[in-house]
Amino acid sequence: MARLDEQRRELALSLRARAIENELTPTQARLFVRSLQISWQVPPIGWTERESHEQLADARRLLHAASILREVDGQASPDSLACYRRAAELLEWLARSSDPVTRDVPVALLAAGAYQLAGLPAMATSLLRQGRYGAGIAEIFADFLSADFDGLLEHCALFWSDHPELTGRSGSARVLDGADLADDETDDPAIDADAVDAPRREARPESPVGWYVLVEVIRVLGLLGDAMRRGNQGRVEQALSKLSDLNMLATRLSSEELWILINLTESTAKRFADNSLHGRVRRLAENAPNQQARMWRFAREQFARGRGVLWASQVQGLERLIANSSFALCTPTGSGKTLVANLALVKELLLVDAQPGEAPLALYLVPSRALASEVETKLTAELGSDLIITGLYGGADWGITDYWLTADRAVVLIATVEKAEALLRYVGHLLTQRLRLLIIDEAHQVVSEDDVTTREALAAHTSRAMRIEAMVTRLLATKPGMARIALTAVAGGAARPVARWIEGRADAEPVGIGYRSSRQLIGALRVASRRVPEAILDIMNGQMLYVRGRDQPVYLPLRIPAMPDPAAPVRDSLPHFTELYVLWTALHLLEGGRRVLISVAQAPERLMKRYAEAVAFASWQNVPPFAPPTDADGLARYREARLACLDYCGPESFELRLLERGIATSHGQMPQRLRRLMTDLIDRRICPITVATATLTEGVNLPFDIIFLTSLERRSFDPQTGQPVVVPMSTGEFRNLAGRAGRPGAAQSIEGITLVAVPETISSTAPAKRRAQQRQVRARSAEYDNLLFRLRADEEVGGAGSPLAVLLRSIANRAITQFGLQTEEQFLAWLEATLPEGAGANLGVASRTPHDLLGDSLDELDGFLLAAIEELARFEQAEVNGPRAEVYLRGLWQRTFAQVSAAEEAWLERSFIKRGRAFVERLYPNALQRRRLYQYGFTPYIGRRFELVAPQLVAELFAAAQYGTWTAEQRFDLFVRLGERIRAEPGIGFRVRPTPGDQQLLADWRGILGWWTQRPGAVAPSADRLRSWQRFVGDNLEFRLGVAVGAAVAQAWNANAGALETPSLQTWRATTNLPWVAFWFRELLRWGTLDPFVAFSLSQGLAQTREAAAARRAEFEVWLAAQGAGLEAETLIDPQWFLAWQRSLADRNVAQEIVRGNAAALTGTDGRQGVYDVRPIVRGDRVDWIDAAGYSLANSAISPALLTNRPERHDFRLSTIQAPEVTRTF
Amino acid sequence: MNGSYGHLLFEQAIPNDQAVVDELRPYFESAHLDAREVFHRSARIDLHPDAGAPGAHAQYPTCLPPTAKKGLFGEVMTGLLTQAYQFIGGHQWTIPVFLFRYHAEAEAYIFDLARDPPRVREISGRHGNDFIALAIDPASGEVVRFIAGEAKWRADLTPSVMDTMMFGEWTGPAGARVRSNDGVWNEINRGLPTPQGLEQMHRLLCEKARDDYAEAIVSLDRALLIGGNPLPRTDLVFVAGNRAARRAQGQTYLPTNSHPVEYTAGRPLQVVELVLEGGVDLIESLYRSLWGGR
Repeated sequence: MARLDEQRRELALSLRARAIENELTPTQARLFVRSLQISWQVPPIGWTERESHEQLADARRLLHAASILREVDGQASPDSLACYRRAAELLEWLARSSDPVTRDVPVALLAAGAYQLAGLPAMATSLLRQGRYGAGIAEIFADFLSADFDGLLEHCALFWSDHPELTGRSGSARVLDGADLADDETDDPAIDADAVDAPRREARPESPVGWYVLVEVIRVLGLLGDAMRRGNQGRVEQALSKLSDLNMLATRLSSEELWILINLTESTAKRFADNSLHGRVRRLAENAPNQQARMWRFAREQFARGRGVLWASQVQGLERLIANSSFALCTPTGSGKTLVANLALVKELLLVDAQPGEAPLALYLVPSRALASEVETKLTAELGSDLIITGLYGGADWGITDYWLTADRAVVLIATVEKAEALLRYVGHLLTQRLRLLIIDEAHQVVSEDDVTTREALAAHTSRAMRIEAMVTRLLATKPGMARIALTAVAGGAARPVARWIEGRADAEPVGIGYRSSRQLIGALRVASRRVPEAILDIMNGQMLYVRGRDQPVYLPLRIPAMPDPAAPVRDSLPHFTELYVLWTALHLLEGGRRVLISVAQAPERLMKRYAEAVAFASWQNVPPFAPPTDADGLARYREARLACLDYCGPESFELRLLERGIATSHGQMPQRLRRLMTDLIDRRICPITVATATLTEGVNLPFDIIFLTSLERRSFDPQTGQPVVVPMSTGEFRNLAGRAGRPGAAQSIEGITLVAVPETISSTAPAKRRAQQRQVRARSAEYDNLLFRLRADEEVGGAGSPLAVLLRSIANRAITQFGLQTEEQFLAWLEATLPEGAGANLGVASRTPHDLLGDSLDELDGFLLAAIEELARFEQAEVNGPRAEVYLRGLWQRTFAQVSAAEEAWLERSFIKRGRAFVERLYPNALQRRRLYQYGFTPYIGRRFELVAPQLVAELFAAAQYGTWTAEQRFDLFVRLGERIRAEPGIGFRVRPTPGDQQLLADWRGILGWWTQRPGAVAPSADRLRSWQRFVGDNLEFRLGVAVGAAVAQAWNANAGALETPSLQTWRATTNLPWVAFWFRELLRWGTLDPFVAFSLSQGLAQTREAAAARRAEFEVWLAAQGAGLEAETLIDPQWFLAWQRSLADRNVAQEIVRGNAAALTGTDGRQGVYDVRPIVRGDRVDWIDAAGYSLANSAISPALLTNRPERHDFRLSTIQAPEVTRTF
Repeated sequence: MNGSYGHLLFEQAIPNDQAVVDELRPYFESAHLDAREVFHRSARIDLHPDAGAPGAHAQYPTCLPPTAKKGLFGEVMTGLLTQAYQFIGGHQWTIPVFLFRYHAEAEAYIFDLARDPPRVREISGRHGNDFIALAIDPASGEVVRFIAGEAKWRADLTPSVMDTMMFGEWTGPAGARVRSNDGVWNEINRGLPTPQGLEQMHRLLCEKARDDYAEAIVSLDRALLIGGNPLPRTDLVFVAGNRAARRAQGQTYLPTNSHPVEYTAGRPLQVVELVLEGGVDLIESLYRSLWGGR
């Protein structure tokens, strides 16, 4: 520490109080609110120019303080980072308010630089994406400060194109060369001219030095951009040294603002160089020399995607990845987890030596099918040429895309945990043998609260958390050496336990915790009749946001027109009024391309209906109308979604009516295809408003700027108890939702805002309604306060319960109460001896009597044990006896999440092992039975029930060999017969709530099936009932009927296949001895058709609607006939023929792009280096090839093929070894 | 000197010759040395891919065009006189490093004013200053005051040129005789409590003599960080020019007894007028002679 540094540090810290993350001074708060108002294009609060200057001065003081703290405490000093952040915020807010506070340098650039130093690059990028810094050289700085190297090189090229005189060998020297400039002053004594008419003269002497410094800085920035992308370390270092020198020069010779900008730019440049992906990738590939070129390419591609400069969380993640293989990465959405996951795939799959026949495999677990498809698309784009990437989210347990099974190439399987379970049962040997890496996305979903809902979900076998814990634990036990990575955005207090679980070390720490890449605001929309909307911002980045000294939140007046008073029926329902108020507000905040999500906690059909009605209100006709996209691609997508909506929902549906107003909808019951298309419209920002349930945003990143919540709770009625059930939204769900707002790079705004609609006044004018509405107003307000309280509480503490622990506790508590057990011995003895049916009589039907819940919970536990023991048996290829099971389960327990989260409860382990041993020795002693039960995929009790039905299902399928030529009626009858076989079976049969409406659906299930499968003459539901029908389809037809038939088919396969046999289309039919309809059945249910060809065409994207798919059948059959294949029943639905037809459609004429080098003539070089990195400057029909630092090296005739239409995206190289020639190298 | 106002008039007594140049040269070389070294260092890193042999680089400040040199001359002369003569307040002024900052160009380039003319009007003044020096308490080593202001050169320094410089251009309809009030006085009046350049000066102290100036650095930190606690400031106006045809010996263009009414900042103000004979030539000869003309 230098002399007196301690004093300097203290001085700097005296400013720290103004930089507390969640605490704004009153002026800062006003500036912030004002900037929000201006960017939302609503009238702002009063403000003076003087205040702007004061805030600028304050920002500069904070920058100064930050630099002292960095100098004294080091680069990572939290105090320094906090000061940089607040300085950046103030500058950002000034920039967004368009306040002219600076003279030399646009304030947005200073803000971006400060954000880079605060370690918040995404904020820099978001801000600069908004513009506000003008054109010209400012763009070069803006590109650099937002790490947009393509843009940087494009703008640098423009600059050199405008200034050819500076691209010569002597560079900028001639800027200063004043020798040849004549002096226009003389020493002749001056005589005063007529003062009034005196010629106006330049007040200041001109100097080229400022220009010189700038030109030199532009050289450096261009070179940095080019060399960083290429990973040319030597040039990067040279450019950095030069930039340091220029900064020193600027300290002396530049205006203060330019100096600050260059200063920030220099620090940012160093940070970029330190955080370049190239360096990490080089280290990863150190031991795999033959992969180094490929790895360079990977890094270069990341630069092309704008992700070559790593963020803080990624740096930490990659350091861990380089050092070891397993860790948990806990950072919010949009902080770049994907890149870490991708490099993990590269490391474990590509950079290893694999034996022939043992190509490595990674399993990527995702929480939803929608996310599987998103991840698949992204991974395919990045790694598709090196790895087989396959998203296993189809209806079947394995399907036509599962060619990875037999290919001897590294493969990534992306699957939901359910799908992965099915796969383990089908081809477990193959999976476990090849598995090298397990990635668990949204790993916090393993965490369970110990409450009624969780316990009931466990008993009903619907707990996703339990499935994750069970499956991951088993994989950890069978493949202890496998690398694993847990990714999570909202871990809350769960981050550490998840890290310990995944790493298997008691001292494991999650990576990246506490890092936030974007700004997240949470608050309330104050709903008040006839009043202009106002928002309150209560939470910023997870902490309560205060105006200092006032203990008040930040108010944000929206100043949009007040909503016209709706008709009495609307006013008389406060929820209805509130919902419309939210839509009204949303419709008025769309200026500037903002995207709004209105999130609905339950009954989306009711909200959709109300919205479909509201947009047609006469008093709403002045709302700015929706304009469908004007570009061809956007319009095509919009039309496709509209057609699909018409196809699956009908012309009167709310979905269609809203879509025509630009409002996209999405909920869990929506048919998959329509959901995907809607998601696409949202993702591409075609629909400005989205109405959706939480299923839309589960793990999927969509570009929302503002999220509104119409309610914070779910209400239902429990017919068994006769009581209403009110479940408040969990903090986990809320956080997940709020985390989707303002994703960096995706959303338009700089901050993501989540606003809960909270009524402030009653909406009704009817005296009879007053009291009830006043009560509702108080209740909503209390719910909101409660949410804030809970959010704060678990930000600090956070629970991390294991579902397995909850299950064991639940079993113990119920058994002790119901059977009067006194001691642990008694409990264990009971546990060893009791089958589920020994506890409850009515199992597998979600009964909520205590005995049935106990029985079902036991069965759930048995399901875990069964899978663990069977997988052991298969792994060891030997029968498992009691002692072996006990030893194995003891080890397995050590790998459970329960062991991590409830380590102090040793009895849990004893119970688990006791039950496990008894499971083998006493409860399910027959090894063959265990094997069968495992393969069904149900819990053992339900499996035993299924075993009674399965032969009938198989028999029905076996008898359907003529399905291919059957009439629609005959086909439909098969579905009905299969449905009837399982409909009333406990555990596998249809399940609805005991409400009259649901009972009616159950009674009419054939009608629903007919509508869904497009049986001729089937009646469609009314718009009001659409969603309940969709739900029945999803829950009972697609899921329950599909699972049961799938399990029966799997059994047929397993009965005949060798232990290590891998399914393939060639052998499938012979092995199962079943006709093709058995293969297609689940797909048919998924797509809602009776014709496998329609399902195939839709799944392969060969048609947009079911009608269009059906229309292509004739085309297929003509082709089939031309192949000489008969039109037999099985041929007509043979997936092999379908695929062959599809291949015949593919355009074989994909021309290989051949780009030859371009002969060039040298200009500013003698070619001594042999090879030069160059960039093109197009001048007429010639190309000037310059070094990225702005020196002309060669020129050539123009070649569009070489340049492409986006030359800034590519790398070029000039070779002078033989005749000078330029080639494109990336 | 009168209260808080001081006026000094310097007139060239001997004609320009090599002796004048030789006398001035050491001070000018010392004033430019730091910037010259840094400039040459930055120029030594040649980003040309064939770099290796150092190229023929421009020599600073000799390479600059005449107008730029005159600007530099004014600033260096200000420094020389500030250190050599007693100014108002009787402080001992130190110039640890000369800053030669060029404001206008960068602004025009970066903001691209040509494409955005309304911006020019929006900008609320430059708040600039050409010159800055510090008063360091010899006992404590702390900076206790600074002097900042404008250093101007005009070859044709007539009263009307002086007026335009000090009060701004004529504005409005011809003959209305209204000044735009954007001249030197306005600049000085608007001078910031923390002037432009103070932070750069602070950085240079850290860079060059961190330990020697530790106390000064801390006191500057205090001034830069604590908004309500600025250092006291003395204003300076330095105007140099050739003797106009009608300018009499001893004649001043700026008031000598008390500050003009246009000066409203209310701080101690020092005005220096320097009248040269053949200044254009002197400046050129002087700069040509620095470091042997290299």
